[in-house]
Amino acid sequence: MKKQKRNRGIVELKSRYGYMFTTHWIIGIVIFFALPLIQSIIFSFSEIEVVGGGIDVHFKGIENYKQILLVDANYDTWVTSSVTSYLYSLPIIILLSMSLALILNQKFRGRLFFRALYFLPVIISTGAVINHIFRTTGSNMSDIGVSDAYSANMISVDDIVKLLDISGEVADFITTTISKIFDLVWSCGIQIVLFLAGLQSVPQSFFEASRVEGATKWEEFWFITFPMLSRVTLLVTIFTMVELITSERTTLIKNVYSMMRAGNYDETSAMMWFYFLICGAVMGLFVFLYQRFLVKRWE
Amino acid sequence: MKNIINTLSNLDYRTTHKLQKKSLSVLYSIFRLVILLSIGFIIIYPLIYTVVTSLQSKYAFLNSTRVWIPTEFAIGENYAAAFDAMEYMSSLWSTFKNELISAAIEIASCALVAYGLARFNFKAKKYYIAILFLTILVPEMMIIIPKMINYSHLDLFGILGLINDASGVDLRPNILDTPWAFWLPSIFGVGLRSGILIYIYIQFFKGLPQELEEAAWVDGAGPFKTFLSIALPSSGVVILTVTVFSMIWHWNDSLLSGMYLSENFPLASQVSRLPETLGSKYHIILNARDPQGIGYLMAGCVLFIVPMLIVYMIIQQWFIESIDRVGITG
Repeated sequence: MKKQKRNRGIVELKSRYGYMFTTHWIIGIVIFFALPLIQSIIFSFSEIEVVGGGIDVHFKGIENYKQILLVDANYDTWVTSSVTSYLYSLPIIILLSMSLALILNQKFRGRLFFRALYFLPVIISTGAVINHIFRTTGSNMSDIGVSDAYSANMISVDDIVKLLDISGEVADFITTTISKIFDLVWSCGIQIVLFLAGLQSVPQSFFEASRVEGATKWEEFWFITFPMLSRVTLLVTIFTMVELITSERTTLIKNVYSMMRAGNYDETSAMMWFYFLICGAVMGLFVFLYQRFLVKRWE
Repeated sequence: MKNIINTLSNLDYRTTHKLQKKSLSVLYSIFRLVILLSIGFIIIYPLIYTVVTSLQSKYAFLNSTRVWIPTEFAIGENYAAAFDAMEYMSSLWSTFKNELISAAIEIASCALVAYGLARFNFKAKKYYIAILFLTILVPEMMIIIPKMINYSHLDLFGILGLINDASGVDLRPNILDTPWAFWLPSIFGVGLRSGILIYIYIQFFKGLPQELEEAAWVDGAGPFKTFLSIALPSSGVVILTVTVFSMIWHWNDSLLSGMYLSENFPLASQVSRLPETLGSKYHIILNARDPQGIGYLMAGCVLFIVPMLIVYMIIQQWFIESIDRVGITG
């Protein structure tokens, strides 16, 4: 009886410590996260006038949404192009970074060198500078027209596709992937780091056991590594989604950002919310399917 | 002929199997090397191109035989122009003051939050974790306008606003254009991508053995003392990872600084608006027919990357090792 009471004391004490460590964070969440989030919803349904140092907010219903969806000619194309490019890049980035992390996790000579090389995009790729670099090199090199002279001499992807006689959508897919390959590989930096960190926590004893049982490498991957990585994969997927949605390289974000800086607060809020809801719905669907079909099966 | 047949028949099953296995593994290592090299090339190519382009004058672009080795140097001109257009020294100071210091604050305050969430059980913990995921999920762009407007009249829970209404004295400070706009959220652990940092910390703290901390408890150390003298000293690995991430994200941040500041921009903002600055300063329009500005632009990019690259070269050994030991399980 007495022991039970003392235990409860410790439990209570620990829970109080838990609150102590997180008080400042919860205050921060209220001031710097929850409040702005609610305000941003209100803004999207209002008309905002900048008066002196502050702002005047007049509620005007769904006018802003009507404006962007029915009147604005560009918004639809921005959203569709952003969402399609996001749906298309996501699986490629996840697959690419996972396989690269698996390779970099093996033991071979020169591993340190390759790791240092593959982590390079981590320091540069989130930055503004990458836009300039990609505009000059890489995918839309021909826009600048500098390198026309020697790119004309090389065999282009189109030639290879024609040679192999691949038809229709598959060919389109291949050509766009290859023309975007710089963008895709460069988006893999942090994902590779997270996957590598995740791979370290797979217990080695599982592999030893499976080797004794005579499992092939493929079975090892499919029945041990992949299930053990499931939560990391989810984290990486969510991270990548948010990165892709808010990347300054998407047309929508670029335009909305310049509108924001010009002082258009109400319409841009509506634009962001509509866009985020669409992306969020896709994200939610994905997470649901992932939990339902993959994680549940393993557990 | 007879000899060969003899040796072949003498090879028993085990040796052939071994040979087969060995040749397969050699084939596999070649395949792996090819993959790694070709994707490594994709990573390194834009960088080399940037550096080479930044070294040469506009006449080099007319010379189509030049690919990798720079000809027609204009190093001085390009770098001087970029240095000048970016106001390099003052931007570097602004980056340090606004971004890097707030990264340092963020690293410390996120560690506290994560320790609280990883070590202790309390009723609201479930909801806190849900909120944490929400903060990872909601992009900064969504809430940046209200944040900016709030910062121009910073008000803690409307108390200062009430004073303003009652007495007409406006006590609400305007923290835009001051480093506080970056420091304050970091102090409260809700700075730039703090969610991800807290998550990485939590994963690591969960894996730390609790026994030492329990022992410190029994000896009468308070929770903060335990955290500082037991938990933190053994989490160098995760602190390094988080520091690298946080510093990089802050160094590269042009979104927040573009909204919160109206002058003295940090480097990331300066480099992202470099084409416009070049246009207004040197009357250069960046397009296909005018390669003049490309050298300037690339020189600016190199100037932006180099400090990060130097730091990365110094710490990369530890960083790569720390990745092996952080252990994210999800």
